[in-house]
Amino acid sequence: MKNLKYYMHIGVYSLIVMFSFLACHDKLDLREGQLNTGDYDFTQTENMIQPLVGAYQQFYTRGWEELLLLKVRGDDVNAGGLGDQQPFADTDMFIYDDNYWMYNALWNGHYQDIIGVNNAASLIENFKEFATGSDVAKADQYIAETKVLRGWFHLNLSRTFGDIFIINTTIPDDDIANGVATKDGVMQYISDLMDEAIPMLPNVRPNERIDVEGGVTRYTALAIKAMANLELKNYQGVADATGAIIASGKFGLYPDFYQAFKKPGELSNENLLEMQYSDYGNSTGDTFYHLYAPFGSQNWTPARENAESGWGFFEPSMKFIKFMLDRGETIRLETSVLFTDRGIAELQEDSNYSNLPAFVNNTTRDGDRINDYSRALFASGKHYLPSIQLTESRNEYGAGKNNICIRYAEILLMHAEALTRGANSSAMTADQAVNEVRQRAGLLPISGVTADQVMDEKFAEFAMEWGIRYWDMIRLQKYDELSYDGRTFTADKALLPYPQAQQDALPLPSGNDE
Amino acid sequence: MKTRLTFFLIFLISAHVFAQDITVSGTIVDAGDNIPIPGVNVIVSETTRGVSSDFDGNYSILVSKGEVLEFSALGYKTVKIEVQDQTTINVSLEEDVATLEEVVLVGYGTQRKADLTGSIVTIKPEQIEKTPAANPMQSLQGKVAGVQVVSSGSPGDSPTVRLRGLGSYGANTTPLFVVDGMFYNNIDFLDSKDIESLTVLKDASSSAIYGVRAANGVVIIKTKSGRTEKKPVIEYNGYTGVQIAHNIVKLANAEQFTTMAYESGSQTDINNILNAMQRFGRSEMNPNVPAVNTDWYDEILRPGFMQSHSVGATGGSENASYALGINYFEQQGILDMKNEYERFNIRSKVDIRLTKNLKMGVNSVFSNATKYNAENAAWFQAYFAVPIMPVIDELNTEALPVRYSNAQILGYRGAQNPFPVMNYSDNQLKIRKLLSSVYFELDFIPEKLNFKTTYNHDFSALDERFVRLPYTLGNNVQQISSIQQNQKFFSNQIWDNVLTYTDSFGDHNLTVMAGTSYRDEANHETNVIGNNISGIDLETSWYLNFAEESSIRLAGAGDIGGRLYGISYFSRAAYNYADKYLFYATIRADGSSKFTLDPWGYFPSIGAGWVISKENFMDDVDAINFLKLRASWGKLGNDNVAASAGSNTIDVISIPLGDVQTPGIISSSTFTNNTWEVIEENNFGVNLEMFDNRFSLEADYYIRDTKNAIIPVFVPILNRNVDRNAAVIRNQGLEIGLNWNNTVNENFSYSVGTNLTTLKNTTRSVDDPRGYIDAGSAEFLQRSIVGQPIKAFFGYETVGVYQNAAEIAADPIAVANNLVPGDLKFKDLNNDGIIDASDRKVLGSYIPKFMYGGNIGINYKAFDFALSFYGQTGNKILNRKRGEIIFTNDTNMDADLAINRWHGEGTSNSYPSSAGLRKGWNQRLSNFWVEDGGFFRIQNIQLGYTLKDQKVLGDKFPEMRFTLTADRPLTFFNYNGFNPEVPDGVDRQTYPIPGVYTFGVNIKL
Repeated sequence: MKNLKYYMHIGVYSLIVMFSFLACHDKLDLREGQLNTGDYDFTQTENMIQPLVGAYQQFYTRGWEELLLLKVRGDDVNAGGLGDQQPFADTDMFIYDDNYWMYNALWNGHYQDIIGVNNAASLIENFKEFATGSDVAKADQYIAETKVLRGWFHLNLSRTFGDIFIINTTIPDDDIANGVATKDGVMQYISDLMDEAIPMLPNVRPNERIDVEGGVTRYTALAIKAMANLELKNYQGVADATGAIIASGKFGLYPDFYQAFKKPGELSNENLLEMQYSDYGNSTGDTFYHLYAPFGSQNWTPARENAESGWGFFEPSMKFIKFMLDRGETIRLETSVLFTDRGIAELQEDSNYSNLPAFVNNTTRDGDRINDYSRALFASGKHYLPSIQLTESRNEYGAGKNNICIRYAEILLMHAEALTRGANSSAMTADQAVNEVRQRAGLLPISGVTADQVMDEKFAEFAMEWGIRYWDMIRLQKYDELSYDGRTFTADKALLPYPQAQQDALPLPSGNDE
Repeated sequence: MKTRLTFFLIFLISAHVFAQDITVSGTIVDAGDNIPIPGVNVIVSETTRGVSSDFDGNYSILVSKGEVLEFSALGYKTVKIEVQDQTTINVSLEEDVATLEEVVLVGYGTQRKADLTGSIVTIKPEQIEKTPAANPMQSLQGKVAGVQVVSSGSPGDSPTVRLRGLGSYGANTTPLFVVDGMFYNNIDFLDSKDIESLTVLKDASSSAIYGVRAANGVVIIKTKSGRTEKKPVIEYNGYTGVQIAHNIVKLANAEQFTTMAYESGSQTDINNILNAMQRFGRSEMNPNVPAVNTDWYDEILRPGFMQSHSVGATGGSENASYALGINYFEQQGILDMKNEYERFNIRSKVDIRLTKNLKMGVNSVFSNATKYNAENAAWFQAYFAVPIMPVIDELNTEALPVRYSNAQILGYRGAQNPFPVMNYSDNQLKIRKLLSSVYFELDFIPEKLNFKTTYNHDFSALDERFVRLPYTLGNNVQQISSIQQNQKFFSNQIWDNVLTYTDSFGDHNLTVMAGTSYRDEANHETNVIGNNISGIDLETSWYLNFAEESSIRLAGAGDIGGRLYGISYFSRAAYNYADKYLFYATIRADGSSKFTLDPWGYFPSIGAGWVISKENFMDDVDAINFLKLRASWGKLGNDNVAASAGSNTIDVISIPLGDVQTPGIISSSTFTNNTWEVIEENNFGVNLEMFDNRFSLEADYYIRDTKNAIIPVFVPILNRNVDRNAAVIRNQGLEIGLNWNNTVNENFSYSVGTNLTTLKNTTRSVDDPRGYIDAGSAEFLQRSIVGQPIKAFFGYETVGVYQNAAEIAADPIAVANNLVPGDLKFKDLNNDGIIDASDRKVLGSYIPKFMYGGNIGINYKAFDFALSFYGQTGNKILNRKRGEIIFTNDTNMDADLAINRWHGEGTSNSYPSSAGLRKGWNQRLSNFWVEDGGFFRIQNIQLGYTLKDQKVLGDKFPEMRFTLTADRPLTFFNYNGFNPEVPDGVDRQTYPIPGVYTFGVNIKL
C-alpha cells in the first residue's frame, strides 16, 4: 500500500513537472533583440525613403585614407613629408607596396559600400512590391539613385586598380565568379548603368530636390557617364553627356571661388555630387563629420580659439604653385594653397619668385595663421574650413564641412576637352566653356582654345580634388608631367597593386603587381 | 536512522545500569581541527552497552574497571581505550582516509572517485587559498594538467581559462562554471575562501551531461556548506600585501631614440628632435640629444596595494546546517591612475530537513563590487611616447589644469603623453550580482529513489560610468567634459528537475539519474552620453542631469537586449560489478533558441573502467594499492557562440541632408545560420597508486575534435567577418600528474608533485576550397591552414639582413625590390627567384605545445613551506606594439629594437636599420615581428606557521596560522615585452602581470 502511494506521488509530481516543462518549448523559436529584414513592415511605403537615406550614409562615410590615396599621386600634390605614414609618401613617389594598409582600406571601403547601396536597392525593391500609384515611380527613382552611387564607387576603384570586379548584387558570389572586368569594361559598364538610371531620375539640380536635398539627379548620372567615357576616350560620349547638363541651363559656377569650398558654397548651383556633413549648428549633440585632419596643417594659430590643426599629410606641390604664379592666378591659388613662412622662403629661393603677390602669406583672409611645421611647406586650401566658420565649441579640423565630388566647372572643362579632341556639341563651344571657368577665376578670356590649354585650365581649377589631374595625365600618357621633383613615372606605375589581403581572398589576376 | 539508534542504545543502557561501578566522561574532538564531534558511538566492547556524544562532543558512561571503550564514528578511525581508574577520558579521533570514500561532484550528482571512467580533477580549497587573487581560477595556473590559465593583471579582471587547447574560434573559450548548480561564464563574484570544492571535468564523457554548454570543459564549484550535528566554527582569514610590476620593458632612451631618428632618413623626424632641443635644451652628456630623458613606463607604474578579509561560520544542528560568511577584497592596479577593484560579499547557505523525506535548502551569494578600469591605452601610449618629452612641460602654458607636455608641439601627430588619458578619465563599474537558489529534495524510497527540483536565479546589475574631465593640452587639443552611463542587466534563470535511483543487487551496483533543465538568459543594456557637465569638478555631480541638455545624443544613446532560451533532457547510468568493472553512460538532448535552423542537439557519452588492483591476481602485488584503466567517448555541443541571426537585420542611422538630421536604415547582407559546434572526444586514462598510497599517477591521452567549428570567415567584397560552421579543429595531448607524499614522522612530512601537458592543435578541415581561412588583420595575418594550428601567424621567413652593397648587387631579389643594406632578407621558399605572397609560411601559433607545473611542500613541526612553478613552451607572440610602426612610424620603441638595429655592416643580422623599419618591405609580417612566447615562472612560494593547542592563562587559545606568500615573484622569458602571458598571442596593450607579496593570518574559534 505504502509503495503504491509513493508511486502515485511520483506520477503526480512527474506530470506536474512534465506539463510545466513542456510549456517552455515554444520559447525556442523566439529571437529577442534583433529586427530581421523580413520582419520590417514594407507595406508602409512612406518609409521607402529610409533605405535610400541609408545608401547616402554609406556614400558619405568615407575613410580619411581613401581620399588621401585617391588624390596623392598627381603632380598637383605631395604626401606631407616622411615621418608618419612612410608608405603613403612612397606611394606619392610611385613606390608601391601591396601590403600597405591604405590600399586595402580603399578597396574594402569602396566595395563594402557598393554592397551597402545594393542592399538599399533591394530594400527599396521590397517596398516597391507594395507600392501603388506614384510610389512605384518613386521606388524606381530611388533604385536609380543607388545605381549612380554604385557607378561612382566603381569609377574610383577601376581608376585606382584597373581591372576590378563589377558588383551588382548584395551577395556577390556570382559577380566574383564572373572574374574581373577590364578597366574599359568597367567604364562601359558605368556608362551603361548611368543610361539605365537617367530616365528614372528627377530632372532637377541636386539642391532643388526636396526629399533628399543635395541627392543624386539626372545630371549627376550624366556627369558620371561623362567621366567614364572620358576614361574610354570616347570624346563624343563625353560631349553628349556634358552637353546635356550644360543645355539644361540649371547649373552655374558659384561666383566666389574661395567660398565655393567653404560653408557658403555648400549645396550651391555648381555642385552635382556632394557628401554632406554637419553638426546642425549645435555646439553639442549629434555630429556627422568627415575626418579632414590629414589635410590640415600641423600647426596653426586659429582665429577662433581651440580650433584644432591637422596632421600635415597632404602638401600642394611646388610645381603647382609655380605653375599658378606663372599664370598670374590669384583667387584659385589663394583658395588651393595654405602657405607657411618656411614654404614661402623656399619658394623665394628661386629668383623667379622672389616677388610674390600679397595673398601669398601665412595668414588666410579669415585670419588663421599657418605656422611652420616640419612635415610640409604648404597645406591644402580646398580642404580647409576657416576656423571662424566652425560651429561654436566644435573644434575638429574642418568639422562639418561638406565634400564636393563633382562640380559644374568639371562638366564645362570636360566638355571643352572633348570638343578640342574632335567631338561635336551644340550646347556650348570649347572657348565658351573654358572662358566661363576663367572668368570666375578673374582671368581674361582666351579664344581658339587647344586641348593643352584645357588641360592647363583643369590643372589650375581642380588641384587637390579627387585625383582629377592624375587620371588625366594617365589617360593622356603624359608621364613626363608626373615625373617631377625627383620622381620618375613609368607606365607600369599607373595602377596600384591589388592589396595582398585581397589577393589572398579573391581570384585576382596576378599581372597587376607593379 | 541515527536518532533511532541512539534511542535504542539509551534504552539498553538504562536496562543494564545496575551492573556498573565507574562513571567515565569526556569530550571527543576531531584530531584535525579540534572541533567537538557530536554523535560518536561510545560502546563498551563485546557488550551492547553504549551512548553517543552530545552536541558539544561530551559523553558520559558507566563502565566496570578493565572494560574497553570503543569510540567510533562515520569517517573516523575507531579508537579503543581500556578503562582503569580514569574518570575522564578525552578522545581525539582521526579521519579515516581509507574508508572515507572520496566522492567527487559530477553533473547533477556525485560519484565515488574510484568509480570514475573519465578525466576529472578535484582541487582542494587549501590549494586555491595559497594564491592571493580576486578570482579563484587564477590559483589553478600550473596546477592541473590540461588547463591553461592566462593571468590578467588588471584588478578585477578574470583570467583566461582554456581546457584542453582551443577548439572554438569564438571569443568565449572559457569553461562553463557550475556554481551550486547555476551556470556561469565568469566567476568574478566568488571569493576563494567561499569554495568548498572545485572539480574540473576534462573529458567529453564527464562533461557531456552538460551538453551544449560543456564544449570548453566544465568546472563544478561547491560553495561552503555546513554539516548537521556540528559545533559552530568561526573562522577569520585575511591577508594584505603589495603588487609590484616585474620584467618591465626597457624603452629606448633619449639618446637611443635620437640616434634612430637621425638614421631614419626622414628630415621631419630630425626636425622634431631639433624642436625638442630648442624647447628643452641639449643634454650635457651629448649635445646632439635633447636634455629630457623620460622613461614612460617608470612614470606610469606604481606598487599596488591588496588586501582580503573574510569571516565565516559553519555548523549544524540535528535537522539543519548552515554556512554563513562575509568577505572583503581590495586590489589596486599598478597603473598610476584611479585603477582599483573592491568587492564585498555576503553569503548564506541553509539546508533543512523538513520531514523525514523532505529536505529544503536556500543558498544566496550577494556580491557588491566596484571596479575602476584602467585606461589600457596608457600602456600603449607609454610605449610610443617619445622620451625627449617630459611628463610636465612648464612651457606649455596652454595646457590646463596641469601643464602636461604635448608631442604635437614638437611636430608629432599625436599628443602621445599618457597622463592626460590616465588622469582625466574615471571609469567606474559597479558590479552587483545576486545568486539565489532554492531546492526541494524528496526521498521517495529512502537511499534509493530521490527527486530534487532546484530553481536558480542569477541577477547581475552592471552600472558603468565613464567620466571624461575637461582639459586642454596646448596646440588646440581640448577635451570637453562628458559622461557615459551604461546600465546592463543580466537575469539568468535555471530550473532543474532530477530523479536519482541507486541500488545494489549483490555485486551489481547501479545508479540511474534522469532530469530536465530549463534555461532563460536575458540581458538588457541602455547607454547614454552627455557633454559639458556642470560642476564636473565634484564627483557628486557626475550625473547626466548636469549635462548640457542638447548634448544628450541620439547617436550616443542605445537600448539593446536579448533573451535566449534553452530546454534540456538528460540522463545518466553508472554501473559497476564488484567495484571492478565500471560502466558509465550519459545522454543529453538540448534545445537552444540561439540556433535558427534546428534548435535541437543530442549529446551522448559512454565510459568504461577496469580496476585491475581489485583482481585476485593482484593480491600479491603489495606495492600497488590501486590501478585502474579507463576509456571514454563523448559528444558535446557548444552554444557559447554568437546567436545566429537567421536572416538579414536592419539598423537605424541618420545623416545630414541640407543640414537637417534625416533618419534612414541600412541592412546587412550577410547573416549567420549556424548550428551547434560539436565536440567529440576519446579519452584513455590510467590511475595508479603505489607504496601505501604515497605515490600516485594519473595520466590521460585524448583526441578532441571540434566539428562544425564556428569561425569568423572573412567575406571579401562585403568586407565582413561572418561566423560560420566552417572548420574541424583537433586538439590532442597527453596529460600526466605525478605525486609523491610521505609522512616521515610526526614532525616531518613532505610532498612533491608535477604535471605535464602536451598539446597539439590542428585544423583538420576548412569549408573553403583553398584549404585555409584567414583571421587577424590584413597587415598581421593569422591563417588556419589544414594540418596547421588554428589562427597561426602567417608571413615571411627572415634569413638575415643585407649587410653591404655587394650583397645587394649579388641578389636579384634585392635589386628588383630596390633594397639597401639594412633591409631584411626573406627566404625565397619556392625558389622562383622572386619574393611574393607564395613565399609565406606558418610562423607559429599562440597555443603552447607544452606546459608544465610542479610543487614542493614541506611540513616541519608548526612550519610549512610550499613552492610551485609553471612554464610553457612552443607558443609565439606577435609583438604588435612593435608592429604599430606600420601605422605610425615616428614614435618611440623598446630599447632592444633601438640598440640592436642594423647600423652598418656586421651590426645586426636580425633587426633592420632605422630607415628600414619604416619601409613597407620590412613591415611585412615575418618572424621579425613574431617572437617566442615560452616562459618559466616561480608561481608561488608560501611559508606558514601554525599555532595550535596553546593555552593562555588557562583558556584555550584559538588556532592561528600565519603565512608569507610571494605569488609570481620570478618569470624568465626572452620575449621583448612586459609579459609573456598574452591570451590571443597578439600583444598590443596587455596589462602587465605583477608579482604579489602578502602576509596572511587565519584564526579559528
